[in-house]
Amino acid sequence: MRVNTRFQNTPGINLLTDDQCEEIYLAALEVLERVGVMVYNEEALTLLKEAGARVKRNHVILPSYLVKKALSTAPSRIAIGNRNGERAMFLEKGRVYFGSGSDTQYTMDIGTGERRLVVKQDVVNAARVIDALKNIDFAMSLGIISDVPPRSAYIHQFEALLLNTAKPIVYTAGGREDVETILAMAEVAAGSKEKLEDNPFLICYAEPTSPLVHPREAVEKLLFCSQRRMPVMYVPALMLGATGPVTMAGALVVTNAETLTGLVIHQLKNPGAPFIAGGAAPALDMGTSLCSYGSPEEHLSCAFNAAMARFYNLPSFSTAGCSDSHLFDQQAGMEAGYSILMQALAGGNLIHDLGYLGAGMTSSLEMLLLGDEMAGIARHILKGLEISKETLAMEVIEKAGPGGTFLGENHTLKYFKSAVYYPGLLNRFDYVRWKKEGAESFYDRATRKVREILKSHPPSELPSKAAQEIEAITAKIDNTR
Amino acid sequence: MSIEELCKAVERGDQEESKQIARQLIDGGVNPLNIISSLTEVMESIGDKFSRLEIFLPEMMMSGDAMAGVVQMMAPQIKAGEAGSTKGKVILGTVKGDLHEIGKNIVKLLLESNFFEVKDIGVDSDPVKFVKEAEAMGADIIGASSLMTTTMPHQKEIIDILKDQGLRDKYKVVIGGAPTSQEWADEIGADLYCPDAGSAPKLMAELLKIKVR
Ligand code: B12
Repeated sequence: MRVNTRFQNTPGINLLTDDQCEEIYLAALEVLERVGVMVYNEEALTLLKEAGARVKRNHVILPSYLVKKALSTAPSRIAIGNRNGERAMFLEKGRVYFGSGSDTQYTMDIGTGERRLVVKQDVVNAARVIDALKNIDFAMSLGIISDVPPRSAYIHQFEALLLNTAKPIVYTAGGREDVETILAMAEVAAGSKEKLEDNPFLICYAEPTSPLVHPREAVEKLLFCSQRRMPVMYVPALMLGATGPVTMAGALVVTNAETLTGLVIHQLKNPGAPFIAGGAAPALDMGTSLCSYGSPEEHLSCAFNAAMARFYNLPSFSTAGCSDSHLFDQQAGMEAGYSILMQALAGGNLIHDLGYLGAGMTSSLEMLLLGDEMAGIARHILKGLEISKETLAMEVIEKAGPGGTFLGENHTLKYFKSAVYYPGLLNRFDYVRWKKEGAESFYDRATRKVREILKSHPPSELPSKAAQEIEAITAKIDNTR
Repeated sequence: MSIEELCKAVERGDQEESKQIARQLIDGGVNPLNIISSLTEVMESIGDKFSRLEIFLPEMMMSGDAMAGVVQMMAPQIKAGEAGSTKGKVILGTVKGDLHEIGKNIVKLLLESNFFEVKDIGVDSDPVKFVKEAEAMGADIIGASSLMTTTMPHQKEIIDILKDQGLRDKYKVVIGGAPTSQEWADEIGADLYCPDAGSAPKLMAELLKIKVR
């Protein structure tokens, strides 16, 4: 779905004017030239120095022409495939896709609501549920696996996703070695290196350390993905008033300076390689010291950075559908609801973290289902108003006439399904019927649906030979670490 | 000028005024140790207010800075070894492979403003470094922060190294960070787990009293 372009006018919000985007951009360039950044990666330092940056040990002063050049070589669209070799997502201006979140330590046990450590089976289950959900377009692990050796946790997470959903995957990784292993697994699934390169179905997640620090592992991931021309995102997470200015404009300046530095390094390595921007500036609650995933600042900053990415002509990654609540409760519903609609309207390409509770510490499949439903509503809203002969419905208005009915009309029959949104989880029974059907709460219905999916959704498995080969790669990593 | 006024200036986080008042008090013959003990009470009450969400982190930090300024200014007046100068020496860092530092920094600030002497060894610190630095400092406590399940095992390694080197009884090991827990502390044999920075000074002071006894 395209925001702002379909039909005459689809709804969308652009929270920044072009002039405002330019001001943030210019200020970011000034920071890069005046304050500079720290880069802890030798190869990147050499690339930057050779390109004309002033490098003193790890400190880099970045002249703005390097940024301009990087912006001119980076692709403005990235097509992402799925495991079956089809095209699945077009990261182009205004197209929005929804996905889960990644590395939570805990998960909320299905049905009981009890918080416990994530085990591998949880990621397998998450992958199967993601695979079944209509409005979830890409998969992230929804947990850090605790019952495998800690240092190969990322590999096990990727394996669990790869073997259980055909949808595109956004993966986290420890460093270059993990990425190498993960790409090898993806090649097996795709059938060959060439097939994977022609239609990559996975995106690497990397992030700088605000303010203005580019750690070794993060840069390693950038460089390696760039070299292999595999998609990578470089998304800052700056905490307002702690790792960046407390005022949003200043926070955007810092996050943009960081993203642009990543872009320069990435494009110097291999011009034209696929790069995704974005990032957030959540509030550090100065009362409780919690980094808030539900704060309006988190979601405003994502919407601002989606606008900045549009200004740069780069695809973007943003956040929604997550909550600071430790329960699947009203707060969780409210924070997920407003943020999903807001980010959908703001038009960032990849909207992740659906299914997160407890400020990024806990995942919940019920919460993911809530996100899926909300994403469906958001998509319906994004359709906006279609004006055509058929939708204006002049003929049927005349036919029914004053005081008439539309219920039996062919026009109604033809359009009632597309014109109206039908929820999968929301109650639409009247009181008596609702009582009769078991008086379920939203939570009850979400739990029931999760269980149904796990029982009846046919898993998207790979041919057993490929699956075995992939499992062998994981086993090898377990043994060598 | 009175100690009460000094306490108010510190509560307000007014560095300059705090120093000025303290200078006048000392010039007027007030015992620096009395000043310190009043300020300790102030910081404790500020910590309590923070725990009750009555004041916010930046406000508490300003008070901490104001108090640190006063203490620094009075340092020449406080003779070495005199009681009340420090509650304990702490090596504080984020464990190897982990770059999360905000939690650790908040803990540092709170400890310092509660009269602990803290040496911050930064992020991504090798377990061996924690032990070496503790030896060099003559620390009482080793505080290790970890924000990721993948780096939590390094908290255990610190304890293992201490055991290997026969130093386990010499230091109290305190752990923290969002994914850690009392259960994890028990499992690895840490002496203390702090769920947040607000509780750290009190819990750590109690821990050291047990040690002295
Ligand atoms: C900000 C942040 C970052 C920033 C850190 C910036 C910085 N300079 O510190 C950046 C963007 C760099 C970052 C990077 C990564 N992060 Co991060 N990050 C967070 C986030 C959102 C907030 C952390 C924070 O600062 N909170 C605020 C502070 C004040 O709270 P705190 O640290 O818990 O500290 C308090 C207490 O715990 C206690 N305390 C803390 N330490 C100590 C120590 C002692 C001795 C004591 C007494 C008390 C104590 O006192 C503090 C104040 O009350 C958390 C989510 C979360 N809910 O925690 C994820 C989170 C911790 N990160 C996570 C991950 C996975 C990563 C990355 C691996 C991402 C990636 N794949 O690239 C990288 C790893 C980089 C690395 N090698 O370390 C995961 C960890 C999952 C897990 N359990 O293992 C989390 C939970 C998010 C998630 N769900 O994905 N991250």
